[in-house]
Amino acid sequence: MPDAIIATTNLRKTYGHVEALRGLSLQVQPGSLCGFLGRNGAGKTTTLKILLGMIRPTSGEARVLGRRVSDSVASVEIRRDVAFVGEDKPLFDYMTVQDVVRFTAGFYPRWRQDLEQRYLTTFGLSPRTKVKTLSRGMRAGLALLLALCRDARLLILDEPTSGLDPDMTEQVLQALVRHVASEEMTVFFSSHHIAEVEQIADRVVIIDRGRTIVAAALDDLRAQYRRIHFVFDDDAPAPVFRAKGVERMYRDGRVLTVLASAGAEGIVEEGRTLRPVSVDVVPVSLKEIFLESSGVEG
Amino acid sequence: MLWYKAWLETRWRFLIGLAVLMGFACGAVFDYPVFVRLNASVSAIDASGHFGRLIREAVETQRTYRGFIWFQWYRQNLVQMWTILAVLLGSGGLMAASSGGALFALSMPVSRARLAGIRAATALLELLVLALIPSLLIPLLSPAVGEHYGLGDTAVHSVSLFLAGSLFFSLAFLLSAVFDDFWRPMLIACAVALSQTLIGALAGLPFSEMLRVMSAESYFRTGQVAWVGLGLAVTTGLLMLYAAVAIIERRDF
Repeated sequence: MPDAIIATTNLRKTYGHVEALRGLSLQVQPGSLCGFLGRNGAGKTTTLKILLGMIRPTSGEARVLGRRVSDSVASVEIRRDVAFVGEDKPLFDYMTVQDVVRFTAGFYPRWRQDLEQRYLTTFGLSPRTKVKTLSRGMRAGLALLLALCRDARLLILDEPTSGLDPDMTEQVLQALVRHVASEEMTVFFSSHHIAEVEQIADRVVIIDRGRTIVAAALDDLRAQYRRIHFVFDDDAPAPVFRAKGVERMYRDGRVLTVLASAGAEGIVEEGRTLRPVSVDVVPVSLKEIFLESSGVEG
Repeated sequence: MLWYKAWLETRWRFLIGLAVLMGFACGAVFDYPVFVRLNASVSAIDASGHFGRLIREAVETQRTYRGFIWFQWYRQNLVQMWTILAVLLGSGGLMAASSGGALFALSMPVSRARLAGIRAATALLELLVLALIPSLLIPLLSPAVGEHYGLGDTAVHSVSLFLAGSLFFSLAFLLSAVFDDFWRPMLIACAVALSQTLIGALAGLPFSEMLRVMSAESYFRTGQVAWVGLGLAVTTGLLMLYAAVAIIERRDF
């Protein structure tokens, strides 16, 4: 397996008495389009800011492109190869579109003028328009243009479609997918919108309360996660499964439901020894996995 | 490009300040004939006590054109307005809402020290211009009222103001590294600056020594530049800037 583009180990961050990250460990492999899911306050933005050197971790280690983010010299080097789009699309409001494009291009020798022209057209951006007068959608488009034209190896996005209408959301997602398909780039993006993660991501990391809960390829999750319903004649028993992969188990009257992250066949086989009257195995959507993993009742 | 960004962030404060100061500099010169006429009646004022002494000293100081310019311009208008501009230019900085793109700037491949350093250097250059250019109008315009004012005096007073007064810029810059907003650094630094330059001078309090250094009073009265005062102010200002950069480098955004 190639070296991870992003690797965090036991990352912790506390703000006073509040623990934002509690030993977060994750890896993002090169070339992947990795969705970063978590509830509000799960620690997504804190993690992204640590990766960009905007926040210093309390303990643990984070590496981006093999460099330690807490080293201030390495952090500058990291940012040469990383593009970032923040949730509020922070830009210099007092500049024009042209100014902010020239300003950004000045830091990146490999700036892609061809892409600049393409995205100016795609997002309907007029060079002489002041940034502060741009609509939310155009602002998001400009932020994406500034990120994609850097020819960066890693693109980090914090809620890239936050506050956008469905049309603009689709434009942003399509631009991302097209870009990643044609360029060598890794994308790590946080989102609340599970549907858009399913639409474009090939890997997903789910965190909750500052810890990684799930980290896997989306196809593997779809293939391996199963909900297994065992229906009994009488009240369902409360077995202890020896088979691996049991994530959660619920009893509701005669029904015992098991959420399996792997090895559904083994769990079914073991469950049959309890003599259920019927066994039903159904696939699980990413939304269900997210809700189950983060402890939210679906 | 960082210089250009810093210029865009500060240009209106600088340009408005420059226009206002130039207006006041013109006013200082063209008020002189009026002042001379009014001054003839001042000797009849029976002023006693602390404020009376201050008034008598002010009247005596302004009996010459050089004294008038020093008192009206370098000791009052320029010092007070320039100090406020120094505080305004020092406030905000890297994380103020005015530069809503603080996160955008921090995502660039630039160290925080460089970001902060260029922001400070740009503002200091603007403050140097604000100290020099309006004051240069005085020797240029003085012949219009039949007077002469030396370029050397202009240079000494302006540079003294810049070197000593930059302490207030550094204070505002330091406070901006601590607070996230624009207003708290601005108001705190303004309060400190005004207590030094206005209230202190009016009440004759000992801590108003700063005003004497900024207005180069010793040079005006004895021809001696207050090197010790200037050195202390510059050293303290540099230490404050260093502290500000150290805070910016360590803090979370």
